[in-house]
Amino acid sequence: MSSIPMIRQTAGEGAAKTAAKRLNRPAGPGRGRTPGRSRAGAGGTRRPGALSYGALGAVLLASLFPLYWSFLVGSHDSTALSRGIPLLPGGNFLANAAKVFDSIPFWKAMGNSVLVSTVTAASVVAFSTLAGFAFAKLRFRGSKGLLVFVIATMAVPTQLGVVPLFIVMAKLGWTGSLWAVIIPGVVTAFGVFWMTQYLRDALPDELIEAVRMDGASMIQAFWYVGFPAARPAAAMLALFTFVATWTNFFWPFIVLDPSNPTLPVALQLLQAAHFVDYSVVLAGAVLATIPLLLLFIAAGRQLVSGIMQGAVKG
Amino acid sequence: MVDDEESSSKSVRRLAFSQRLSRWDVKVSPYLYISPFFLLFALTGLFPLLYTGWVSLHNWNLIGGQCKFIGLENFGFVLGQPYFWNAVGNTLSIFLLSSVPQVVLALLIAAVLDANLRAKTFWRMGVLVPFVVAPVAVGLIFNNLFADQFGLVNKMLDLVGLDPVRWHSDQLASHLAIATMVNFRWIGYNALIFLAAMQAIPRDVFEAATIDGAGRVRQFLSVTVPMLRPTVIFVAITSTIGGLQIFDEPRVFDQSGLGGADRQWQTLTMYIWELGWGQRNFGRASAVAWLLFLMIVLIALLNFLLTRRIADQGGRK
Amino acid sequence: MKFPRKLAALSASAACLTLALSGCGADAPKAAPSAETGKEPVTLTLATFNEFGYESLLKEYESLNPNVKIQHKKAATTNEARDNLTTRLAAGSGLSDIEAIEVDWLSELKQYPDQFVDLLDPAVEGRWLDWKTEAATTQDGHLIGYGTDSGPEAVCYNSALFKAAGLPTDRESVAQMLGTTWDSYFDAGKKFVAAKTGAAWFDSAGAIYQGMSNQLEKAYENEDGTVIAAENPAVKDVYTKVLNASTKDNLTAHLAQWSNDWVAGFQSQKFATTLCPGWMLGVIEGNATGVKGWDVANVFPGGGGNWGGSYLTVPAQGKHQAEAKKLAAWLTAPEQQIKAFTAKGTFPSQVKALDSEALLGQTNKFFNNAPTGKIFAERAKAVGATPFKGPKFFAINDAMQQALTRVDVDKKDDAESSWAKFLTAVKSL
Repeated sequence: MSSIPMIRQTAGEGAAKTAAKRLNRPAGPGRGRTPGRSRAGAGGTRRPGALSYGALGAVLLASLFPLYWSFLVGSHDSTALSRGIPLLPGGNFLANAAKVFDSIPFWKAMGNSVLVSTVTAASVVAFSTLAGFAFAKLRFRGSKGLLVFVIATMAVPTQLGVVPLFIVMAKLGWTGSLWAVIIPGVVTAFGVFWMTQYLRDALPDELIEAVRMDGASMIQAFWYVGFPAARPAAAMLALFTFVATWTNFFWPFIVLDPSNPTLPVALQLLQAAHFVDYSVVLAGAVLATIPLLLLFIAAGRQLVSGIMQGAVKG
Repeated sequence: MVDDEESSSKSVRRLAFSQRLSRWDVKVSPYLYISPFFLLFALTGLFPLLYTGWVSLHNWNLIGGQCKFIGLENFGFVLGQPYFWNAVGNTLSIFLLSSVPQVVLALLIAAVLDANLRAKTFWRMGVLVPFVVAPVAVGLIFNNLFADQFGLVNKMLDLVGLDPVRWHSDQLASHLAIATMVNFRWIGYNALIFLAAMQAIPRDVFEAATIDGAGRVRQFLSVTVPMLRPTVIFVAITSTIGGLQIFDEPRVFDQSGLGGADRQWQTLTMYIWELGWGQRNFGRASAVAWLLFLMIVLIALLNFLLTRRIADQGGRK
Repeated sequence: MKFPRKLAALSASAACLTLALSGCGADAPKAAPSAETGKEPVTLTLATFNEFGYESLLKEYESLNPNVKIQHKKAATTNEARDNLTTRLAAGSGLSDIEAIEVDWLSELKQYPDQFVDLLDPAVEGRWLDWKTEAATTQDGHLIGYGTDSGPEAVCYNSALFKAAGLPTDRESVAQMLGTTWDSYFDAGKKFVAAKTGAAWFDSAGAIYQGMSNQLEKAYENEDGTVIAAENPAVKDVYTKVLNASTKDNLTAHLAQWSNDWVAGFQSQKFATTLCPGWMLGVIEGNATGVKGWDVANVFPGGGGNWGGSYLTVPAQGKHQAEAKKLAAWLTAPEQQIKAFTAKGTFPSQVKALDSEALLGQTNKFFNNAPTGKIFAERAKAVGATPFKGPKFFAINDAMQQALTRVDVDKKDDAESSWAKFLTAVKSL
């Protein structure tokens, strides 16, 4: 699906070079061959009709309902779950939130979660793009077999690894420290696979050759050509990894101590009683989701435009 | 391009050295770039895999430690257990009930999101919200929905005049409920992956198709889907591997976490947990874990071949 | 780069593993040099679950012993705590200095006395009820844990439903009516159900089985480890009796304990009685908020029963064993347990505490101002010998509960076919 050869065929070498240069520096007005017209996708510039919005509305309703439901229960009291929940929020949310802050080290856990998620997302993107670049564009012996091996590693069940991994962490002295949570997640097979598959199509070989002929080393080729081309997928990978790390419970629960928890582990403490007040638990769950929603609002616009930038090849 | 105006004598020696450097760079760089992953994998993936393989060949109590070497006896025992095959059946059933709708619905949603919508960011980020809802909340919500006697779904079925479904007693019903929980979480995620790939399709292909007279649906089936082939394969493989390891959702489906009184919804990962942490039989748990690993590899491979074939049909290559 | 160091650590751990692989059984951690408790600053970690009521007690201990700092680690549920304990015992490190355990885990943990410090001490002799200490002592006299709370059981009932059925409602008459045997309890139930109030007598077969089986001297295993669950007539007897009462006499509400339906069942008043240990009162109060009429009768079928109760153990992995032992002994002293009881309702297992004024004067407003302190103190003293529980108790009991649920809640099997499945499960262990 490389478009540069297509351009070369249809419009000649000069246009191909121009397109290649434009790909290198995607920010700027009048990109692509249709300046001034925004990418509209399969439907053309025609605005979608009521049916599309209706379908989307239904999907959004189903997606947002559980969050709203959590907020509803969190704003009433413990009987809400067993007696049937009214459709409107009650006034109890702030009181429940106060209970959450009192019972668990919420802010410390949030700080830990932010740290772990950010570091993990950054390192996953960095290492996965690097590895993806190698697998997708560089020719080396055993690349096919190694890629299959990478994919196969996703098949190793996590439950299998709990005891041996814990032993390793104990020997390294990291049990209870955030390193035990960060290090195992520093690069994922999913990330490598994802970037490989994306870069294969999104990064034209000619671009790399061109820049190598200019005298760039491998790492410079990666930095000036590979990474920018991968940016849309990298942004998505960063978002996915951040969210997945934020909501991860299983491993942090096993290896961390409640004095140094991440957010899901801390939230679990709200259930530490014979009688569990689920309105408080769900209030806590909503509070834990708010930072992610903020991230969505902040990064969402960037991400959406990033996805579209990746399309500038037609 | 190389600047030939540089003084030749100095540049010849520099050229020779830099040529060797660059050749070494080309040879070594790929391995260097993929090494972080493999180094980490050696620690967090390979070591546990080999350790568990070693454990599976012994009589090994989780607390008591290792006893005799018994070779493949654990494997033989486990393969003869009806609970093992029950777990295999449950796993495959839940996997199919979740993965197939996931891929199909994600494709459709992505197609709708691909259009020129107003408030694009809102719609596109909105479908990802289920992914951020805390697992404890998801468990509570769906348990409330699918409770046998007082659940919301059964109450609504009652309103319409249908019989209540026994979500926690019936095997297939429990699979449906759990698949719903899984789909809820992952459909939006996969939809965005498809969307990213769809946005990368050059527009002139669609223009050409429209000129040829193909309607929207035809375009979707004959143009979009085949051009998404690598992504479809990617999603198929990752959701296969994930779907065969489903653990969290079935575990929160009831209060004991064992998969139902008759193991109606016990998946293989839950069975591993029961053998290892419930019965303390680490050897048998490891044997099942290895069998699951081999099963995943096999099925992912099958899925890959199948998806490649399907995506090829109707595509132009 | 830190890689060389990590590689060294990794090969070291691999070597350790291979060394450990030489003999059967895990390397028990070497006993730490039992330093006498001194004045050097030390940080102790304490791991509990649910609610022990220790928050203010820990602060008190810290002020009494300024060189000690305590880090309190709480797991949400007993299952999580058990999984955590298992993983860290298996890994050989990571346990806290004091680990709380449930009475049900003792049968298995007593198989590995080397993993726990022997807490036998003349200073604490006679502190607890006999059956409490007995459960934590191995055959060699090694005391694994100090008792904290216990779960003496009584019968909680909904007097509003009793009234609707024409039965007596005050505590003494109800205790008389329920009688002291299981048969009299079931007979009262038959009378209640005949009045057709729309409610059932008890919540589930599993709950009743729990009460009945805890009174068997030897249920599933012999002392030497052989499994007798399949042949033991007492087990089959209890099983049949419970299911007959449930299905034939229709006394059950088919609500598995702790399930969503069970919680909702309190609000919808689906059952009139339930066997309740002291810690269950808070659960009932929470689930039945707004429902009037719950009360406690000072009686338990079969005499007395105990459900639950915890101990504090000192793992041998720990580095501050003497200090930990001292803290555990202090926390489980009668005075401290009373304070915990006042804070969170954890019922003491210490003999002196059962006679204390603070305890005996306790009443519970939700339960019609019942003198719960007095009631449970008497119930605690009525508990008979501890049933013997071997290492496979947990797994076999789970299988039994599943068998009962299949018949009672799921209604998928009848008693005979469910029993057959139970036998298969037991054989596979």
